[in-house]
Amino acid sequence: MFVIVNNLVHPLPEPRTLAALLLSLSPAAPFAVARNSEVIPRGTYEQCHIESGDRIDIVHPAAGG
Amino acid sequence: MDKRGGEDQLILYGQSFPSRLLLGTARYDSPSLLADAIRAAAPAMLTLSVRRQVSGSNHSGQSFWNFVRETGRAILPNTAGCFTASGAITTACIARELFETNLIKLEVIGDEVNLQPDPYGLVEAAAELVRRGFQVLPHCTEDWVLCRRLMDAGCEVLMPWAAPIGTGQGPRNPRALRELRERAPEVPLIVDAGLGLPSHACQVMEWGFDGVLLNTAVSRALDPVHMAGAFANAVRAGRSAFLAGPMIAQDTAAPSTPELGRPFTT
Repeated sequence: MFVIVNNLVHPLPEPRTLAALLLSLSPAAPFAVARNSEVIPRGTYEQCHIESGDRIDIVHPAAGG
Repeated sequence: MDKRGGEDQLILYGQSFPSRLLLGTARYDSPSLLADAIRAAAPAMLTLSVRRQVSGSNHSGQSFWNFVRETGRAILPNTAGCFTASGAITTACIARELFETNLIKLEVIGDEVNLQPDPYGLVEAAAELVRRGFQVLPHCTEDWVLCRRLMDAGCEVLMPWAAPIGTGQGPRNPRALRELRERAPEVPLIVDAGLGLPSHACQVMEWGFDGVLLNTAVSRALDPVHMAGAFANAVRAGRSAFLAGPMIAQDTAAPSTPELGRPFTT
């Protein structure tokens, strides 16, 4: 049972929520998250259930032109 | 607003900006160099991107963001690197979540060699993003039909290139750029990409473009800070010249010194 986070395999957390996954990963703020290419609004991570095989993208501000 | 008065501002989607220069934040040798360049350019906005965190640099994004916020400049996120409309739409959505702004510099690239915008993907993505409440600034070519389609899709600002991204060639197709300016007189037009010299920026501002967006021309200069200042001066000079109403070029010479009363004529 796993999820793909930024193209890397991670074990599925318990409970199976985005909030639990983020708690285990502790990404540096600020960040935004998409599950299977759908953006998950801040404040709904607890309600966002994740399943095995889900693709999670966590992005940060970066330089750009 | 009287543009010849003291209130000449760049207005994009209802927001006023005292500067007509937008500055990219990429390809600087160090954050301090970027900071100094921002101070020298005093830009209206800074462009940023969204990226996955690089392994082993857990706080680099955080420190970069803190630094950008401290500049107090407005943020214009981009969808750089997207080759499909769907990818650009998803990137725009996550950028809005991250930066808390509806503004988006929309890039949908259609060719890996010259990084030319994909006109079909661009219009498709623009229409969808406008429908979702975004304020879209599309990076496009100077092609009139494409620009018209983008306006029809709801884009209130267009950002035609002068030349391909990062080339610094200056305006490749001056005739088409000027025709675009003439045919869309009420639409804010920002020349985005391909400028390499302050004279390029001054030139397009003299033609009546509303602003320029720069990155590589500043960041890859030998002295980015001085170049940022030079571009800022060039943009102001070009804008002032446009507002002053340049003379019409003539085919024949005309003496500027009065003929009447000239002595020793024979």
